Amino acid sequence: MTQTLALFLDAYRLLNARKIFWITLVLSLLVVSSFALVGIHDDGISIAWWNLDLPEINTGSAGFTKAWFYKTMFTSLGINIWLTWVATILGLVTTASIFPEFVTAGSIDIILSKPIGRFRLFLTKYITGLLFVILQVSVFTGASFLVIGLRGGVWEPGLFIAIPLVVLFFSYLFSVCAVLGVITRSTIASLLLTILFWFMLFIVQSAEQSLMVFDMMVQQRVTAYEDAVERTRQRLETVEDPDDMERWGFLHETLEKREASLANAQGSSGNLKAWHNGLLGVMTVLPKTGETIQLIERWTIDLAELPEMSGETSRPMISEDDHFTPDEEKLGKDIQDAVRNRSPWWILGTSLLFEMVILCIGAWRFQRRDF
Amino acid sequence: MQPCVAFGSLCNSMSSNGYVIDVHDVHKTYKKRIKALQGVDLQVGSGEIFGLLGPNGAGKSTLVKILMTVVRPDKIGGTFLGASVGQKEPLSKVGYLPEHHHFPGYLTGLQVIEFSGAMCGLSKRERRANAGKLLDRVGMTKWGSSRLNSYSKGMLQRVGLAQALVNDPKVVLLDEPTDGVDPVGRREIRDLLLELRDEGHSIFLNSHLLSELEMVCDRVAIMVQGRVSMQGTIDELTKDSKRYEIQVLGPCPAWIESHPGASVESVEAEARISIATDDPEAIQPIIDRLRNEGRSITRVHAVRESLEDLFMRAVVDESGNIAAPGAQIESRRGSGGDAP
Repeated sequence: MTQTLALFLDAYRLLNARKIFWITLVLSLLVVSSFALVGIHDDGISIAWWNLDLPEINTGSAGFTKAWFYKTMFTSLGINIWLTWVATILGLVTTASIFPEFVTAGSIDIILSKPIGRFRLFLTKYITGLLFVILQVSVFTGASFLVIGLRGGVWEPGLFIAIPLVVLFFSYLFSVCAVLGVITRSTIASLLLTILFWFMLFIVQSAEQSLMVFDMMVQQRVTAYEDAVERTRQRLETVEDPDDMERWGFLHETLEKREASLANAQGSSGNLKAWHNGLLGVMTVLPKTGETIQLIERWTIDLAELPEMSGETSRPMISEDDHFTPDEEKLGKDIQDAVRNRSPWWILGTSLLFEMVILCIGAWRFQRRDF
Repeated sequence: MQPCVAFGSLCNSMSSNGYVIDVHDVHKTYKKRIKALQGVDLQVGSGEIFGLLGPNGAGKSTLVKILMTVVRPDKIGGTFLGASVGQKEPLSKVGYLPEHHHFPGYLTGLQVIEFSGAMCGLSKRERRANAGKLLDRVGMTKWGSSRLNSYSKGMLQRVGLAQALVNDPKVVLLDEPTDGVDPVGRREIRDLLLELRDEGHSIFLNSHLLSELEMVCDRVAIMVQGRVSMQGTIDELTKDSKRYEIQVLGPCPAWIESHPGASVESVEAEARISIATDDPEAIQPIIDRLRNEGRSITRVHAVRESLEDLFMRAVVDESGNIAAPGAQIESRRGSGGDAP
């Protein structure tokens, strides 16, 4: 325990000595302070002393609540932009040197000559590397909790779920950075390769979400063509002498065209599903950075807090001139449901499994290596 | 500082033959072809200062790193503080200062020593007490609260030495401890090493400064290309080179050349008679005869090989060539070579 505490104290001293840590902390507090300057009222929103009348966003006619407004600001701006992009990049820049410096000749010799096992040393050092993000996100969430409580009038302890989730999100990337640091012993190489890995995750996740949306759109098209084919058949059944091609040839032609379009849409849907399932398989073995962060929104903002939707849902339509009209409201709801219905166990469990595998590789390398 | 250990506990950490370090047949090859160690046998007794010498790349640092579990040997036998080499537990009784050590610049001298103590498992109270005493002992009390990035090389070396001693170790391994230290500081470090030995610590020194090692070491080993070529006390190793030199005024007496083990050399107006013996009784008849002949004896002194002579003898092979620096490299075709 003495050794573990000493490593944590050393990690704190390292952060304390780095200006970028304090700069990030001050910027975090500025971001939270900016939340306090923004308010919502019956006619719109206010920024410091200025009032903006917005019929779409207010607590009056639009039906939003103050709690929803501040929690949305917290998740959309504070978490999704500030903590998961800006602060994470600053965090990686600050912590990327931890392992390369740790394994520098002359430094690693001293630490390895102490009565502490290499495996424990590697893992403890890794956890101390997360101290940066733990302190940053704790201060940010604590300050946001106060702002939302004081300005929004809602004391929402659920916001603190952001601390473990943002730390988890950062830990996926830091595990890769740490292992690359041990292997390459270079800060620049480990930082750049980690950012490249993060970019790759972003591409895979964006591609998966795009394919999911395309698939839903094609599904709507399939539904619309099924309806249209059915409608055309019914019409043919109701007409007198449907085999009279002179009179009803155009209906037969429309039916054929719509059946062909249906088959085409079904084929596209099948292809999209196969690609989507393939990407989902790739995603399963990779850490789910975006979805981990989305869990904060899922768990802090209840959909019931949102103003009621119009409720006017209509089936996707194929018009008489074969023009496809999607049901956009349903599409939006389906996407939201699909994202929200993904199991947190799948999101966090598989991501943690990836992290464990990476850390085991790093620990194995650290264990076997001569310094 | 108080003597490091009670006699009983010291005995517990020695091998059955009384050595704190007793390793046999140590082999280490880097990248499958750089033969750093090729069957090293080495013993360090309890309470002695042991010096390990050798040209660059001879394998000295690799051997120390193996003892400190920084490098994994291909093969090793024997014990370190009574336990198998590679185990972590004995390291709580070991202090270590590597050659090109690197302490984080954001720490103060005091923090470096306390961190080292914490990593050895010392309690906060022990760490505080030991760190203060050690800073005083290495003459760094005034600088203890300053960050290392404001230290000179010599100051870093002193703090490095202090951190190696924080756990009151039974064995201290020091790789070039006087590197970058000024002459006054070197003398202080030398005195400190002698004090530590008197307190019962065993000290293992790696150094290129032969004259310094000669002043403090009880025993030395010389490594050349991954093998120990000589090992023992300086007296033992230089025994064959011991002689007495008698300087007399005037020409050399003719009878001396018939004396067994004697040689003569003329130096200006004097003759230098050299008798190969380490027994002072053996030269008394010669002195008596010279006196009886009325010759003026200007100097009589015992001479032995210096450590430098010994070192040079060790690194020269049978054909008179000096061993190239670096470890032996096995070329891809199988023939030998030397690492740069």
